[in-house]
Amino acid sequence: MSMRTLYACVLVTACGLGANISQAASYADTIATVQPKLVKIYGAGGIRGLEAYQSGLLISADGYVLTVWSYVLDSDVITVTLDDGRKLSAELVGADPRLEIAVLKLKATELPFFNLDAAIGVDVGARVLAFSNMFGVATGNEPSSVLHGVVSAKTELTARRGVFRTTYRGPVYVLDAMTNNPGAAGGALTDRQGRLTGLLGKELRNAQSNVWLNYALPIEELVAAVEDIKAGKTRPRSAADDVKRPVDAHSLAELGLALVPDVLPKTPPFIDRVVRDSPAGKAGLRPDDLVLFVNGRIVNSCRMLADELATLDRLEEVRLIVQRENDLVEVVLGGP
Amino acid sequence: MNMLSQRTTWLASAALIVLACAPVACGADDVGAEEEAAFKAAALSVAPSVVRIETVGGTEKVDDVLVGTGPTTGLIVDADGYILSSAFNFAQKPTSILVTLPSGQRTAAKIVARDDSRMMVLLKIESEEKLPVPTFGSRDEMAVGQWTIAVGRTFDQALPNLSVGVLSAKSRVWGKAIQCDAKISPANYGGPLVDIRGRVLGILVPLSPQGQGEVAGAEWYDSGIGFAIPLAEWLPRLETLKQGGDLQPGLMGVSLKKGDMNADPAVLVACAANGPAAKAGLKPQDKIIEVDGTQITRQVEFRHALGPKYAGDVVRVVALRGEERIEAELELAAELAPYAHPFIGILPRRDIGDQPGVVVRYIFAASPAAEAGLQAGDRITKLVDLEVADAAALAEALAAHAPGAKVSLTYTRGEETRSAELTLAKLSAAMVPELPPAHGELPPPEAQANVGVLDIKIPEEQNECAALVPENYHPGAPHALLVVLATPGNYDRDQLVERYRKLCHEHETIVLLPRPADAKRWDVADAAFIRKAIEDVAAHYNIDRGRILTSGYQVGGAMAFVTAFAEPELIRGVVAIEAAPPARAPLPESDPARRWWFYLGAAQKSKTLGAIRKVAERLEELEHPVVYPELGESSRDLNADELDGLGRWLDSLDRL
Repeated sequence: MSMRTLYACVLVTACGLGANISQAASYADTIATVQPKLVKIYGAGGIRGLEAYQSGLLISADGYVLTVWSYVLDSDVITVTLDDGRKLSAELVGADPRLEIAVLKLKATELPFFNLDAAIGVDVGARVLAFSNMFGVATGNEPSSVLHGVVSAKTELTARRGVFRTTYRGPVYVLDAMTNNPGAAGGALTDRQGRLTGLLGKELRNAQSNVWLNYALPIEELVAAVEDIKAGKTRPRSAADDVKRPVDAHSLAELGLALVPDVLPKTPPFIDRVVRDSPAGKAGLRPDDLVLFVNGRIVNSCRMLADELATLDRLEEVRLIVQRENDLVEVVLGGP
Repeated sequence: MNMLSQRTTWLASAALIVLACAPVACGADDVGAEEEAAFKAAALSVAPSVVRIETVGGTEKVDDVLVGTGPTTGLIVDADGYILSSAFNFAQKPTSILVTLPSGQRTAAKIVARDDSRMMVLLKIESEEKLPVPTFGSRDEMAVGQWTIAVGRTFDQALPNLSVGVLSAKSRVWGKAIQCDAKISPANYGGPLVDIRGRVLGILVPLSPQGQGEVAGAEWYDSGIGFAIPLAEWLPRLETLKQGGDLQPGLMGVSLKKGDMNADPAVLVACAANGPAAKAGLKPQDKIIEVDGTQITRQVEFRHALGPKYAGDVVRVVALRGEERIEAELELAAELAPYAHPFIGILPRRDIGDQPGVVVRYIFAASPAAEAGLQAGDRITKLVDLEVADAAALAEALAAHAPGAKVSLTYTRGEETRSAELTLAKLSAAMVPELPPAHGELPPPEAQANVGVLDIKIPEEQNECAALVPENYHPGAPHALLVVLATPGNYDRDQLVERYRKLCHEHETIVLLPRPADAKRWDVADAAFIRKAIEDVAAHYNIDRGRILTSGYQVGGAMAFVTAFAEPELIRGVVAIEAAPPARAPLPESDPARRWWFYLGAAQKSKTLGAIRKVAERLEELEHPVVYPELGESSRDLNADELDGLGRWLDSLDRL
């Protein structure tokens, strides 16, 4: 209630009363056209605190539904409730485990739907609306919940390995509204005018900053996979986009480096010894240099440095940035 | 274009849109689009001053909060390479700090100085690049409800991340911060909060009105409550940080009379010796009515007025001493000498008599009272020129005098009124011999309370807990409360009850026997349960709030320290046998409003003797009363005689 009041105040302050009313009216029209395209999905779960529901969006008049792939769909019976309250059983057409999306099929016709080919991209700072059945609060013919926010950032989940424990590797819209709550996954992100732009993702915690992330997958990243699934070409889990571990990787020993003893969870990677005539020795590394970056990726502990080297093939060159007193020094080891 | 005309233009254009299109639905959409464009433009206009900060090394947890190691944000505030950021971003004490400028250039950074009041850190980098300093908006021009945009550079190096909200409040956390409802988290701590035109309103930091430290307030991330330190008014302080000087909260060195912060006037109860207030001539009983021209009618307003001040600031205070108006100018301090409690050397009787005054129950040997010839049975009526109606009034009057001060005491012996001059000593925690009774025969109680061994159940808590209430409990007599933290895995309730029965019965004490939630070990989280259990007992029995202590042997003793330090408002002391607090635990400061008691028992060959001695030394430096009972050669818990002595000691802690 207080948030609503506050929001009203904002609009009054910022745009004057007239604008507030008509702006609300405009949002109301937009929302009224979007909500019928959202569905509520019910399936497995309901034990150990796992919700048995999620959200989805209609992508064709004849009942194709796009949603996220999750344990909810891992059920013999999946039911879908439409915006008008009709309850239908759904068939799982297929899923893409790498993108963590799934397509369902309902037996129905003349449904309102989002045309995936008409989906648009949005910029950082764009105002967006998020539609979902978060916390399962909408039941029967109650329309989905609507949140308003802006796009905080467009970023790659691959930007740093291990930060996000998800198999999806690609760009996401980070949002400044609390969109990613239980049951919200599979909901729609639209721009101010109700044009589809993203699919709300699952709950995700940033392992680096330890805070929950609110995000949506850009529809443009999903279109091809949806077509494949509909065509029956369910794509197998592919390791290609995951981190590849080369058979013959770089190692500290082979580069001629010894670090200080790794005694803490985050021992800073200071160089203890450099073997003469080794790649490290030839590159001019010295004891007490602090390794900061490996091929552009920051390494903030001895363990991360070792892990990072293990992902690089021995034929590749290794570009290190080290801190020597107050200077940053770049060196290149190995390579052809 | 100057600021005024920019603003007028913007307002005019906004008004035009509203006027031109208000009746048409599509017109509103234009306002929405205009605003969206303005959000983006605001973030972009400040972006050249917003840098990305990465850290290497350091600890993983700070105060039990898992701190991230992801990139954080900073703001260029000086073209010579000075960057301001949130202290949260450096709580893990990193080995190395790297700043990436908007251009992509990376440089090493050093912490120059900290602002411990507003939890900011100033960094210095060396760069050939031109470093743009943003423009700042002042607090006077801000309006609650205006758009605010929080900017960070944590997701994407090329483009800053932003979150949009409104200004929720212009003064929060004792005047130090402004508040907004944009989403504030590690994604933008250290970054700027800007207005719709990209002017910097403040630096985003986690803050807590109660807690202290770098991570306090971080639990409110993304909650709709975000704080920023307003910068325009703060910038004159930048020079101090640039010179390497840390900024610290300013202390006046006074304690206010206990009471309701939101209702009671700011009456001083003590002024720290050599503290700024004492040096400026302020005295206990003075009522503060003005600070730097701001009227003060309640204690909370006094805290608001002092909250934003730094050590070194000069503050003009007006106080009332009776009818007299006292004006004082004082320079706030960063630290105060620890407060030493004064001691007369008497133990008051606990009868509620029909005459005002404090009847002496017992005189401590070699104390000021003993030297001045006071005797048990004397009735003290006046300290210096203050009438004292009861023991609480005497304690309050006494707090105004420091040890070493000469005071006069008026008392009656029989029909005769006498007075004595005595030099106050430091409060002693000395053990006592057999004591005379604290009160006479009490009338039979109206209702009989439950006595014996009782189960204490607290809703939502898993811990088990028993209370041992003596059979001779009388609701008219204030009891001591001893919380016994038994060694986990070795909890035999019947045995514990047997062990403490005599102490309870003979020394008007209730014993609480809580168990940890995890039967195998004590955890910091159990302290909250212990607090609730104590409050539960205090709600049903007559407990003397000045004599609630935790106790334990070895690990139980360590937990006794942890619990007491976690609940300083409630627990007044620790009985630790063969135990020391965790090495990094900060010890409580001595404070006129409350006293701490420490009973540290150790054997001569104890393995923890070194740690215990070190803690005892630090406690005495902080002017806390400490007593060290002799426990013989090898480590053991207290025996029956020593428990009896402990009971007498607990009975004597309302000494003055």
